[in-house]
This record gives sequence, structure tokens and C-alpha cells, in this order.
Amino acid sequence: MTEIYLRLVDRILTPILLLIAIFLFLRGHDLPGGGFIAGLVAAAAIELTILALGSAATRDRYGPWLAPLLGIGLMVAVTAALIGMAGGGFFLGRWIQFEVAGETLKLGTPQLFDLGVMLVVVGMAVTYLLRLSEAAETPPPSTKHRETRP
Amino acid sequence: MLQRAPSKGLSASFALPKFSSSAHSPPLTENTSQTRKNTVLALCLTVLFVSAPLLWLLKPHRSFSFGWWAALPAAAVTLWQTLQLIPVGQGIFWVERYGWAPTLGLELALRLDGLALFFGLIITGVGTCIAFYTAHYFAGDPRQGFFYLLLYAFMASMLGLVWSDNLLALFVFWEGTSLTSYLLIAFKSEYKAAVDGARRALIVTTAGGLALLAGLVLLGLEAGTFSISGLLATPGIATAAVTPIALTLIFLGAFTKSAQFPFQFWLPGAMAAPTPASAYLHSATMVKAGIFLLARLHPAFSELPLWFWTLLLTGSFTMLLGSLSAIRYTDMKALLAYATVAVLGMLVLLLAFDSTYAYAAFVVTVIAHALYKAPLFLSAGIVDHAMGTRDLRKLAGLGRSLPLLAATVALAALSMAGVPPTLGYLAKELLLESGMKPLEQGQWLVGSLAYGAATLSALFMVGAILTLLWEAFFRRHPEEEGARLHHLPSFGFVAPALLLTLLGALGALAVDSVQNLLFAPAVAALAGEPVELHLKLWHGFTPVFLTSLAILGLGTAVFLARSPLRRLLNSLPAQLTSLFVYDQLVNALYRFAYRITTWIQGSPMAPQISVTLLSAALLVAYAFTHSSLASLPLLDSLEMPSLTEWLLCVLALFGALATIRARSRLSAIIALGVVGLTVTLFFLVFGAPDLALTQLLIEVLGIILLVLVFFRVRPDPDLDSGQGTSWRTISKLGMAAAMGFFGFAVVLINHISQVGESISPYFLENSYSIGRGSNVVNVILVDIRGYDTLGEITVLALAALGGYALLRSPQLPLLRRRIQMARRQNGAADQPTPPKTETGHD
Repeated sequence: MTEIYLRLVDRILTPILLLIAIFLFLRGHDLPGGGFIAGLVAAAAIELTILALGSAATRDRYGPWLAPLLGIGLMVAVTAALIGMAGGGFFLGRWIQFEVAGETLKLGTPQLFDLGVMLVVVGMAVTYLLRLSEAAETPPPSTKHRETRP
Repeated sequence: MLQRAPSKGLSASFALPKFSSSAHSPPLTENTSQTRKNTVLALCLTVLFVSAPLLWLLKPHRSFSFGWWAALPAAAVTLWQTLQLIPVGQGIFWVERYGWAPTLGLELALRLDGLALFFGLIITGVGTCIAFYTAHYFAGDPRQGFFYLLLYAFMASMLGLVWSDNLLALFVFWEGTSLTSYLLIAFKSEYKAAVDGARRALIVTTAGGLALLAGLVLLGLEAGTFSISGLLATPGIATAAVTPIALTLIFLGAFTKSAQFPFQFWLPGAMAAPTPASAYLHSATMVKAGIFLLARLHPAFSELPLWFWTLLLTGSFTMLLGSLSAIRYTDMKALLAYATVAVLGMLVLLLAFDSTYAYAAFVVTVIAHALYKAPLFLSAGIVDHAMGTRDLRKLAGLGRSLPLLAATVALAALSMAGVPPTLGYLAKELLLESGMKPLEQGQWLVGSLAYGAATLSALFMVGAILTLLWEAFFRRHPEEEGARLHHLPSFGFVAPALLLTLLGALGALAVDSVQNLLFAPAVAALAGEPVELHLKLWHGFTPVFLTSLAILGLGTAVFLARSPLRRLLNSLPAQLTSLFVYDQLVNALYRFAYRITTWIQGSPMAPQISVTLLSAALLVAYAFTHSSLASLPLLDSLEMPSLTEWLLCVLALFGALATIRARSRLSAIIALGVVGLTVTLFFLVFGAPDLALTQLLIEVLGIILLVLVFFRVRPDPDLDSGQGTSWRTISKLGMAAAMGFFGFAVVLINHISQVGESISPYFLENSYSIGRGSNVVNVILVDIRGYDTLGEITVLALAALGGYALLRSPQLPLLRRRIQMARRQNGAADQPTPPKTETGHD
């Protein structure tokens, strides 16, 4: 098991990071943020879990959703692009607006597309991070050449 | 036996639609009495396409009587087509058009004429039986559902192919059959033979498919329309200058698909498929696609000498080759596969001719072959299932234990051997008649070639099928240790084969009604004009009938002499086969690729990357010196950096120096992080918060990745000891200087060579009106230039998949060891670079 402070940091910071990712994603259309950045933040959050608990526990925690995330993201993005087809053009943005507690919210296909971008980015980063962490967790075949310094 | 209708006695029921009117004008102006506009054809295709995933999702292996359900969609389409026989016979065709990519000339045009209906009936009719049979063949197998998915996807592509009235749509369906058949052949992917056979089939058929596409496009451009009915009606298309090239390309496509010499070798290899797939692909569908295409184009081009001689020679040779090879094989499916090659050659040969006999022979052979070859394949599968082998050497006396199956095979064998009164007999009579016609007309060379090839191949086919029948079912003792009967097949397992066989055997007895209903419309489409058929089973002691008798007699002689014949064929050198040539070619290609790769990428990572980076730097240097930029007139106008910028520069320099001087990898990585963070601050100073955020996150993840990667990499003695040879230090210094110049030059050129107006104001102005967002960067990414982003994330996903495959590859440790050994040999120990994941997102 890894150090307790890492597990503590993971317990506290990972949910916050994931919330920040959602926050950055939601405000991305008007203020700095967006799907790509949100995806990177989410990937960093998941990497924190990997560092704290190991890749196997991470797979347990995030369930079966990590592996197909790339495909889901691409599908969401293509769907968003195709919805515009009904309006007469590929990638034609379509919006709906509604009022919640005095605030005007708008949702549209560009944001759906952004969600696809985010999922792809998370999927890509986590795919690499998980595989590399697994490789790092298992000791290399010959310990003779192993790097001893931190 | 049959005759062409006298022109004045032309019955109205055979009036063909006016090709010219239906081709060039939109459907609205078409003569409504000859075409019906509806969406039934598209609906039929949709039903098949939708059934594919549906049957998969239903998890059929959990149910015992799933065969009925699985056969239902195909049966429904068959039933609908059966109901269309009478209207289509009267010249009332279904025509449907849907826009697809109109600017490319691509539209989904479906047209149900006699030929399309004839092939469509065979495809879905045999498909129904196969779907029913599959439930028994894969009983309890969890992959049964996946097989149904592939089977129905294939069936739908094949049906679309024969119904299509657009050259490009036909090609799309054609490739659809190539892909789905590849998956079907490779279905037992745990066997090497299956994967190899599938890959071979895919390479050969898709290579032919590319040639076909080129040929179709040439033809379509020449005719000015991609509509098939329009093309056939284009006057002078046969004599156009481009036609010989186009036809040669189309021949390549058709011959690869239909396994004509010298491409016949993929077909026996495809026998590694599960038996239902083999039965379907090689009796009724896949291999008939090329034949169908030739038949489609026949009315327009059959008078060309190129058409005649190519088809005549290829067909005759393939026919002889297939029938001679068949008897050599003791695997039931391989024997049947070569017999299929022979029949395909026969069909190509028939399409060379321009007589009504040949048309009728073609049509009857197609259906007779489907109705006897499918049951034979299905029976081979049942034998395989019941005995655990289909090797003739291990089989004997199955007639006693599996009497119903033996009866089925015997009946199908009679049709294949051409014994009256089966459809196979009728087909052979017509084949000989069409070979006889040139002889009567005094064309001795052509006539004797066709007649002789037909006789010889028919004779060897008789020998081959008698061998299969005798050795598997009726002889007492096997050659080798016999296989034991595992379990008896249920009646439902045998029933589809029996049904098809009975249709084929008894169909000829009802020839009077069948010929007008089924054969005549197809023959009319081939001839390009209405035709009346008068086929009869018995027509006196003509030379053809006597030849038929001689074929049966000599075929029996071939059967009796099978052992010496097999020895003789087996003693032929393997270098003569086209499979050998193909394998040599593919191996040479692999060796070539290996050499090229080791030459270009054999060295360690650092020199490879140096080559790429140095070439980029050289290109920029060339641009820099060969333009007016060299004088740098605008350099004076640049502002001096502010104090903050100076500070940041110093910080970055400090980080870079610390990276170089670092004594361990970890500290080098951390120092590199300082440089990255400085760049982040630069972005902030220049007011690009989005970029700064991205840079920061990339930096964090990149450092984690670097640490993870270096954890696994053998320490670099040079770096760790802090000293290297002076030459290496100098070369690295040069490299670094070049890259520094590169970055500097690119930034400078970007800054001072403003060509045209900047697009930034446009984005700033329109970001809110177009994309309804005030974050311009984000609006550009996800809305205005969303198409670019889609491409980028697709590349990102593909790179992730590739990296994932590489990282989990079982060969990775092996590869690593090999690289280490190579490095030790070279005496080099370069610092490896981590996989690049920070794909740019600008």
C-alpha cells in the first residue's frame, strides 16, 4: 500500500478536482475552460487516484467506464455534429434556452460536442496512465539495472 | 429446344422498359405503367440490415428453436420477391432512387428487373435455409448471435449489390460483401488457417475491388451517367476509346471476386470458414457477385472481341483447372470448393457467348449450382458435426448410420453430375448446346474449345462427386483409421439441405412453368431484349444427349481410376500453383517492409528524432535565407520586452540549464517542468488564459508520464555519470542550437510575414453571433472549426489505441530486450524518449 498522506490527498483532492473539471467544462463556452482543459483536469484527478491506490483499485473505483471512454466520446462528438444535419448543415449549432431560478441557461450541440472532446481526452490520458502505472507497479524482469535513486 | 420469339409475335408481356427513358430522366417523368414507385426495396434491405444486430442482441444460443426466428427476415424477403415474379415477368419493374452524394453521381438507386429478382431470390432463398441450419450448427455456442450478425449483414450487402442500379452504389455493396465475408471466413479466429484464408480472400478481393472502382468510374464518366440502366442504353459506349481499359479493370474485379484463374487460390483457403458461411458464400452469393456484374454489363459489351476472348479463355481454363483439381482433395469442403471454381469458370465461359442457348444455360446453371452446391456444403458440415472430421480418408459407410443425409447427398450429387431429370442435367445440356452452336456455324476453333472444355470438365466433375459419394457414404472400410459417430444429426439439421436438394432435383420436372416465371425475365435482361424460352428435358437422341451419356460413362471411369489420378496430381510441383506465387509475393513484400523499417527506424530513438528535427530546421533555414526576411527590415519595429518578460526569460534559461546539469533523471524532469511553467506564465502575461491552463495541465500530466516511463527504462550511463564522449556532447550541442534557431526563426517569420488580413477580428466579431459563446477560443474549437476538432480527437483516439496496443503487447519485453542487445552492439546508449502524448490542440 502507498503512503497514507497520498491516500488522504486523494480522498480530499480527487472529488474537488473532478468538480473543477465539471465546472471548467460548463463555463467553457463563455469563460476560460472547455472540454479539452476539463478533460485534462479529470485525467489529473484520476491519476491522483492511480498514484494513491494503484491501478487495480482505480479500475475498481471508476468501474467499467474507463476502457470504452474513447469510443463513447467519439460517438458523442459525431452525434453532436450530426444533429445539425436535421437543421440543414453538418456541425450547425442548435440551441435551447431555459430559465432556472432567474438565470438563463443555454444548452446546445457545441457543448455536446465539447463533452465528446472531454471524454476522448480523459480516455486517452487514462489509457496511457493506467497501462504505464501497471507496468511500473510490476517489477521489471531484471532488477540488476533498476534505477536505485529516487 | 428453345427459340427466340419472332419479333412480330412479341407478346406485350415481355416489353422491356425503355432504357433511355428510365435512365436519364428523374423518376417523376418515368412511364408509370412500367415502373412502380415505392419504398419496398429499401424496406427489404433495411429489414435485413436491422435483423443483423437484432439477432445478435437476442442471444440466440440460449434458445433451442431459434432457427425459425433467425430464418424469418430472410424468408419474408424471399416471399415478397416470389410475389414479384409475375409483375416483373410482365416487364413491370420496381425502381427506387434516394439521394446519397449527388455531386459524386452516387445515389442509392434500386431496380428490380428480371436478373436482379433472379439473383435476389437465390440470395435470400438459400439464405433462409442457411439461417435455419446455423441454429443447429452453432447450437449452444455463445458466438451464434455474432455469426447471425455477420450473416445478415452479408446477405443485405449482397442483395443490395444485385438490386443496385448505380455503379457506385453497386461498388459500395460490393466492398460490403468483401468485408463481411472476410469476417465470416475469419470467424474461427483461433485457427491460423482461418485467419490466413480470410486475409488472403480480403487482399485478393479488395485489390480487385480497387481495379473495379477505377473501371466503373471510367465507364461512368464516359457514359455521362452512373446509372447502370442508363449506361447500358448509352449508344456507342462499347466502341469508346476508354472502354478497353475500363473493361480490363472491371474484369480484374470480377475475376478476383469470382475466383477465376489466376486468382482462384483464395477460394479453397476460404473453406476455413464455418460451414454455413462456406455454403452460403460459395454456392449462392459471394463468388457469384463477379459473375453477376459480368451478366449485368453483358448487353452492352458482349459484341466486343475483347469481351469474347477474355471470357472464353479465362472461363475455359478455370473450368478445366477447377474440375481437374477437385478429385485430388480428400477434404470434402476442399473438393467442393474446386468444383465451385469449375462452375464459376463455366459461367464466365457462357457469358462470352451471345446466343439464347448461352443465356438460358447461364441462368439454369446459376440456380442449379446454388441448389446442389449449398446442400453438399451443408451436408459436409453435418458430417463434420456428427463424425468430428470431414476427411474422406477417415470416413466410410455413413449411408448406413445417416440414411437421410446419404439420400440428400446422393440426390444433390445426381444434379451435380447432370443425371436426368435434375436441374443440373438441364444446365449441362444447355451448356453443351451453347458450345455446339459455334460448331454448327462453322467457328471450329471457338466451338471445339468451348465444347471440349465443357465435356472434359463435366466428366471430371462426375468423377469427383462420385468419389465423394462413394468414399464417405457407401464403401465399407475407410483408408485410414475411421472416425466414430459422435451423435446423430436431428431432422431439423438435415432439413434445409434436403429442401434445397429437392427443389433442385424436382425443379426440372416443372420446367414448363418455371421457365416462363423465373428464367425468361432473367434471360431477357441478359439478352437486352424479350425472349421466349422453350426448355425441355427430353429432345431426342441428339449429339448433345449422346455426349451427356458419354460424360456419365467416362466420369465413372475417372472415378474408378481415382487413386492413380490423385497420385499423379499430388506429384505435381507446388511451384506451379498460383497460391505459391501469391505467397512468394506477399513474403517478398514483408521482407521489403522489414528491410525498409530497419533501415529507417532501426537506430535508437534519439538519432531518429534528430533526423526529423534537423530536416525541419534545415527547411526553415532555407526559407529564412532565401526570402526577403533575411534582411529583417521589420526587426526594428519590434518592441523591447518588458521587465516581467525579461524575468520570465531568465527563469526559463535557468530551468533549461538546470535540466542539462541535472545529475539524476528525476531532477532533470523537475527542471524541465520549470521551463514548462515559465511558458505557462508567458501565456498568462500575453493574455491567453485558455492556453495557459492547457499548458499547465499538459505539463503536470507530461511530468507524471515521464516519471512513469523512466521508472521502467534502464539508466543511461552517460547521463548518470554526467560525462560522455566529446563527440556526442558536441553533436547534441549542435542539435540543440539548431532547434533553438528553428524555434526562433519560426516565431520571427510568423510575426513579420503577415500575408493578407488577419482572421482574428472576424472570430472576435462573430464568435457570439455564430457560436453564442464569449470564449472565442472555445467557440472556434467546438463550433466554427468543429470539423477540425473532430479530426483531431479522432487522431487522438487512434493514437491512444495504438499506444494501448503497444503497451499491452506480449512482444514488448521481447522487443525491449532486442533493442537493448542492438544498443549494446552499437555501443550506443542514448536516452530514450517517452511516447508523445501531448498532442497539440491548437
